[in-house]
Amino acid sequence: MDFGFGEDQELLRSTTRRFLTEHQSLADVRRSMEEPDLFDPVVWRQGADLGWTAMLVPAEHEGGSVTGQPLVDLVVLAEELGRELNPGPFVPCNVSADAIARFGTEVQAKEHLPRLARGETTSAWCLSGDGSPEPSAVEVRASRSGDGWRLEGVARYVHAAADATLLLVTATGPESGVVNLLVPRPSAGLTDRVLTGLDLTRRFAEVHFDGVTVPGAAELAGGWAVVERCLSVATVLQAAESVGAADHLFTATVEYAKKRVQFGRTIGSFQAIKHRLANLLIELEGMRAAAHYAALALGDGLPDADEAVATAGAYVDDAFAHLAGEAIQLHGGIGFTWEHDVHLFVRRAKVNQVLYGDGAWHRERLIRLVEAATAPSGGA
Amino acid sequence: MDVIVPAIPGTYDGFRATLRAFIAEHKPTLAWKQRTGLRVPDRAADVELLRTYVRAIHDAGYVLDRFSAEPGDPHEQRILEQELVAAGVPHVLGNPLVAGALKHFGTDEQRSTYLPPMARGDHIWTQLFSEPDAGSDLTSLQTRAGRDGDDFVVVGQKVWSTWAQWSDYGYLLARTEPVEGPAGISAFILDMRSPGVDVRPLREMTGTTDFNEVFFDEVRVPAVNMIGAPGEGWRVAGASLAEERSNVGGAGGVDPVQRLVGLARRHNRGGRPAVEDGAVRQQIGGFAARSRIQRHLGQRMATKAMKGQITAADAPLAKIWFSELNLEMVEAALALQGARSMAVEGDELTVEDGRWQDAFLYARAWTIAGGSNEIMRNLIAERGLGLPREPRGQS
Repeated sequence: MDFGFGEDQELLRSTTRRFLTEHQSLADVRRSMEEPDLFDPVVWRQGADLGWTAMLVPAEHEGGSVTGQPLVDLVVLAEELGRELNPGPFVPCNVSADAIARFGTEVQAKEHLPRLARGETTSAWCLSGDGSPEPSAVEVRASRSGDGWRLEGVARYVHAAADATLLLVTATGPESGVVNLLVPRPSAGLTDRVLTGLDLTRRFAEVHFDGVTVPGAAELAGGWAVVERCLSVATVLQAAESVGAADHLFTATVEYAKKRVQFGRTIGSFQAIKHRLANLLIELEGMRAAAHYAALALGDGLPDADEAVATAGAYVDDAFAHLAGEAIQLHGGIGFTWEHDVHLFVRRAKVNQVLYGDGAWHRERLIRLVEAATAPSGGA
Repeated sequence: MDVIVPAIPGTYDGFRATLRAFIAEHKPTLAWKQRTGLRVPDRAADVELLRTYVRAIHDAGYVLDRFSAEPGDPHEQRILEQELVAAGVPHVLGNPLVAGALKHFGTDEQRSTYLPPMARGDHIWTQLFSEPDAGSDLTSLQTRAGRDGDDFVVVGQKVWSTWAQWSDYGYLLARTEPVEGPAGISAFILDMRSPGVDVRPLREMTGTTDFNEVFFDEVRVPAVNMIGAPGEGWRVAGASLAEERSNVGGAGGVDPVQRLVGLARRHNRGGRPAVEDGAVRQQIGGFAARSRIQRHLGQRMATKAMKGQITAADAPLAKIWFSELNLEMVEAALALQGARSMAVEGDELTVEDGRWQDAFLYARAWTIAGGSNEIMRNLIAERGLGLPREPRGQS
């Protein structure tokens, strides 16, 4: 058993950390966050050179991973990007690359994967109208139009849509079930509106489809199975991002508690503070264990992959949000100021909580899996 | 990254089959009702049956690593652990933590004198650590052992000693040095049949007797029975306590989350099976997540141990995670039973013979024993995160 990262992955971590410190640290993100667009295509392509979008792309399409466990490699990257609250389309690009590599035709793979791997294409995933991963929530309708498809409707809360050049669109099909389509952006009839959002370090958009047409070859075959796979990958990567962000914030909070003096002693010497920090470390370690195991299980196709992903979804982002809220409280007044970074983490956490299925959604999924595994007699 | 435990080669199938048959042949039928937790038989006859069983296993050549100076074949050890646990009756009698202390700090003679009979069930041990005024704050313990010729003379009182009512030997911490705090403490091997030892079984909130008070009225302990050097007792104990914390919760058996699903199917809420209730589903789903994470925390700890990266926060963290999740789950189990949860073992209305009611009452042993969870949080904060130590008060 070695439930940890290998040397190559630790090297990937240190390289990524150095790159982000130099090119897109939280301080840099902060400087750009009040501008309309956060996306920096130059940094993104440099990041792509470091493998940010290549791990799930097969070698014949210019991809490649550090180890034989690409999803675990991505966890390392996600943690590092999360630490700096990186605004980039890391999750949607990797979700799309994985979906195209797994479900796409050879033509689709050739067309999109090298460009995604190089960072020339960035993508966004248009899942549903209310953000929830339910077939009934999908509000884009696909109808046949000649040999192709015609799209009407709206998808909301789509990360990085306004910067994307490729949309993965989940739509209700003409028969039952969903179809997933690869839609270039821009396209005629495709418009988007960037939300004024709670998370200041990412941009989400509402994407409108008014008679957008794509050829039949744009379909990514597989229906809801594609959505399930995308959700699992997104849940794991977002969980890892939350772990990185939470780790950074927690370390900063502990340091603050060691420095801040009130009543003639550092506040970290008060047991009320110590116990809260201890609780946060317990949560952080739980988040880490859940995210790492989910990546391992999903990536290696272990028999309990579904349970592992649902566990990460059920625990990690809710714990991150709790930790971030506590970090504000433990910083006291300074944590309430705009200038301090803590609120940026709180905002990130609150939004992560509701993306790709919220905690309640994953807990429901998990109890269904437990029910299926429990004999009718009741396990006693 | 992996969580693979190397498979046991098929060449060990014979070893397992022989062992399993041996256990089946020698396993006693006890009058004592087994419960969850670290529980102690309430009848002398059962203790004797268990001794006979443990002796038979030992004499057939099956010895756990924790009791032997040389580690055995790792596959055989795993099979041995698995089969003994699966047998469902205790295979370690008494509190075995002194074994670790003897291995690391004992003399060769102490090891050869005490480890084999412990492994064989000939000697049952108890741990004499906590005192009425020194529970979580163990280093303030006041039981004294004063030097008198070749002996030490022990005066004081201990509490929360499991198995003491059936024990032959005690693993004692007492104050020998003229300084306060940890530096004044030494560790001893104490013969529980020495004159002046008085064991008084304690009935706990569960109604069962798993712990005892032990009084020492000028009990003579030979100086050669000290484990380690004078004043080294706190270090000796530290090694064994860390083991106790990380061992807490290694129960096995049916997944408690599946048991909860079973209860939720059989009991109603709002006129329909509780398992259809959204709040119940959310709660059990949350337990399922935390219960799985508990396993993954264990896998992380095992990996860190292998790489020598264990921190002072790891064992306390695992203990808190397990004990607080356990408490919440047994509380939920009672809630699922509704008013019927008031019926306990012996009543015809009781659910599953009262296992949940007993587990609910016993759950507080896990949050308190082995260092209360508040002390565990201090350890995480002070030794894990490097925050300032709690000041000691004046009294």
